[in-house]
Amino acid sequence: MLSSLSSKPPTQQLLQSADLVSQGAEAAIYKAYLRQFPTSGHGVDDAAFEASEPVLLKHRFHKHYRHPSLDASLTRQRIAGEARALMRCMRSGVTVPGIRMVDVNEGVLGIEWIDGKSVRQLLPGGAELDEINELEEVDEIHENGAADPIGDYGVSGGRTVHMLIGLYSSSVDALMNMIGVEIAKMHLADIIHGDLTTSNMMLRKQTSDLVLIDFGLAYHSTLVEDKAVDLYVLERAFASTHPDSEPLFSEVLNAYEKRMGKRWLPIKKRLDDVRLRGRKRSMVG
Amino acid sequence: MPGRRCDSPLKNPSRAYIALGLEGSANKLGAGVIKHDVDGSTEVLSNVRHTYITPPGEGFLPRDTARHHREWALTVIKDAVVKANITMHDLDCICYTKGPGMGAPLQSVALVARTLSLLYEKPLVGVNHCVGHIEMGRQVTGARNPVVLYVSGGNTQVIAYSRQCYRIFGETLDIAVGNCLDRFARVINLSNDPSPGYSIEQEAKKGKRLVPLPYTTKGMDVSLSGILTSIEAYTSDRRYRAQGEPCEESEDIIRPADLCFSLQETVFSMLVEITERAMAHIGSKEVLIVGGVGCNERLQEMMGIMAQERGGLVFATDERFCIDNGIMIAQAGLLSYRMGFQTPLAKSTCTQRFRTDEVHVAWRP
Repeated sequence: MLSSLSSKPPTQQLLQSADLVSQGAEAAIYKAYLRQFPTSGHGVDDAAFEASEPVLLKHRFHKHYRHPSLDASLTRQRIAGEARALMRCMRSGVTVPGIRMVDVNEGVLGIEWIDGKSVRQLLPGGAELDEINELEEVDEIHENGAADPIGDYGVSGGRTVHMLIGLYSSSVDALMNMIGVEIAKMHLADIIHGDLTTSNMMLRKQTSDLVLIDFGLAYHSTLVEDKAVDLYVLERAFASTHPDSEPLFSEVLNAYEKRMGKRWLPIKKRLDDVRLRGRKRSMVG
Repeated sequence: MPGRRCDSPLKNPSRAYIALGLEGSANKLGAGVIKHDVDGSTEVLSNVRHTYITPPGEGFLPRDTARHHREWALTVIKDAVVKANITMHDLDCICYTKGPGMGAPLQSVALVARTLSLLYEKPLVGVNHCVGHIEMGRQVTGARNPVVLYVSGGNTQVIAYSRQCYRIFGETLDIAVGNCLDRFARVINLSNDPSPGYSIEQEAKKGKRLVPLPYTTKGMDVSLSGILTSIEAYTSDRRYRAQGEPCEESEDIIRPADLCFSLQETVFSMLVEITERAMAHIGSKEVLIVGGVGCNERLQEMMGIMAQERGGLVFATDERFCIDNGIMIAQAGLLSYRMGFQTPLAKSTCTQRFRTDEVHVAWRP
C-alpha cells in the first residue's frame, strides 16, 4: 500500500490519465493503470504490481455548495474512514478490494480493480438498473457494466452461469451462501457496511470469490442493533430489486447464522424487532 | 411506466370548482380560496394568514396556539372569503388539515371546518399537510416530477413520487430542521417576529467563522439533535461573546452571528447532500423546496449550486406559499375532491401522526 502522496501533481496526473467509469453524486469512479504513471521511483509500484494491473480510483470531488473548509474536512474523513474499514476487513479475512493508494487531501482512494459482475446483475430482476425501487446509492456503484462482454461465466466446480437467464439454482444457493459468510466475517470484525445491497457485492471473474465493495458508509460498531439494521437494509434491497427473493435471503441468513455461531441469537431477535419497527418511525417534530 | 407517458387521471372539470382551505397545524392560521377552471388552470382567489408570535426566548405551546386559532378563525376566514369575492355558498368543498401537526391547534381548526360544513352543507375533505405543501409547490413553480425537499418546523423529508404515492426517501431521525433552528434562536434570544428562522438567516449573514459541528448524514437520512446540543454548548464557551460586537480578524472569539452561520452551513449542507443522493438515485434533474425553512435564501442558493452542477433546476417558492398557508390545503383538497374523495363528518378527525406516504395520490399518473 502506498501511503499518502502528499505532493499534489502525481494524483492529479493519475486522474488525468484515467478513464471515467461512472459518475455519481458523491464521487467519480475511474479506471487507471498505476504503472503508466511516471513516479515509480519509490519502487513500490514495481514491486507490488503486474505491469498492467488496473486500479479503481474513487475521487470524492469538491462540492461547491459546501463551505470549503467543511468540504475539505468531510472529504478527508470519508476517504480515511473508507480506507480504514477496508483495512480492518482485510485483516479479518473478509474479501474486499485491496487498497492501492490513499490521498486524503485530493480526495482520492485507489483500490484493486475487481474484474467481474455485481450480484445484482447476476440475479434475475436485477438487470433493470434504472427502475426506481430501492434505497441504494447509485453514486457508489462500482460496476463496469458496459466494459464487460455478456457471456458465459465460470464459477468454481465447473458450474457455468448463463448471464442472460440468471444463475442455475444450485449456483444461486452457493452464491447466497458466500454472501452470508462474507457478511458474517465482516460483522465478526465489528465492521458495519452501512449500505449492503446486491449492487455492492461482486463475483470476481477469475477466482469466483465474492467481494464486498463500497465501504463509503461503513463504520465500526459492536452493537447488535447496528448489525441487525445492516442485515435489514440488505433484506429490503433484495426484496425491492429481485422479485420473489425471500428464499434467496433466507439462504443468506442461514449461512450467516452458521458462521456467527453463538452471536447469532441476539442479532436474530433484534432483526425481528427492526422488521416490526417498519421502515421508519412516524415523524413529529 | 416504461416507454410511454400515461394520461393524467385528472380530467379538466366540466365547470369551475372552488374550494376553501383551512390550515392550523402549527402556529400559523391560514385560510385560502382556490379555483380550478374548465381549461385546467388554477387561480388563487385569496390567501390569508395570521401567525401566533411569542416573545423572544419562548416557543409556542399547543394550548396557547389553539386559543390563538380559535380567536382568529372567524376573522381570517371572513377575510379570505371577502378577498376572494365569493360567498360561502359558492364553495364546492371545505378542506382542512387532518395532520400531521400539533394536536390542540389541529382540533380547533377541524372543529371550525366541521361547523362550516354543517352550516352551509358543504362536503369536507381532510388533507395531509405535507401533500398540501408538495401540491402547492408543484402548482406554483410548474415543476413536473421533482425530488421534493420538505423542510419545516415539524418535518424534514426528501420525497419523490412513484406509483401514486409520495415516497419518503430520506428524513430526519430525530428533530426537524426548523425545530433545530428555532430552538437555537430561542437560546440566543433572537426575535420570533416574523419567524425565528428568518432572524437566524439575517444573523448568519454577519457570521464569518465556521465552528466545527457534527455532520450526521446516514445514508439518505439526517440526524439533527446532536448538532443542536453541540451548538448550544458553544454559548457557554469561554470564547463566546453574547453581545457580538464586530471584532478584529485575529481575535479568537465566537459571536452569535458565527454560530448562526455555522449552524446554517452545516445543516443545509447535510440537507443538500441527501437531496442530491435522492436525485442521483432516481435520475431526476428537478428539485423542489417546500416548507417554512424553504424560504431561506442560503438554502435555496446551495441547492441551486448543486442542481447546476448536475445540470438540473431548483424550484422554490416565496414566503406566501412556503410557510404554512390555507391555499395549499385547498389545492391538495380540491385535487382529491375532483377524484371523488370526501371525508364523511363522522371521520373528520385529525391526527398528529400522518405520514406523507400514507396518502393515495389518485390525481397523478
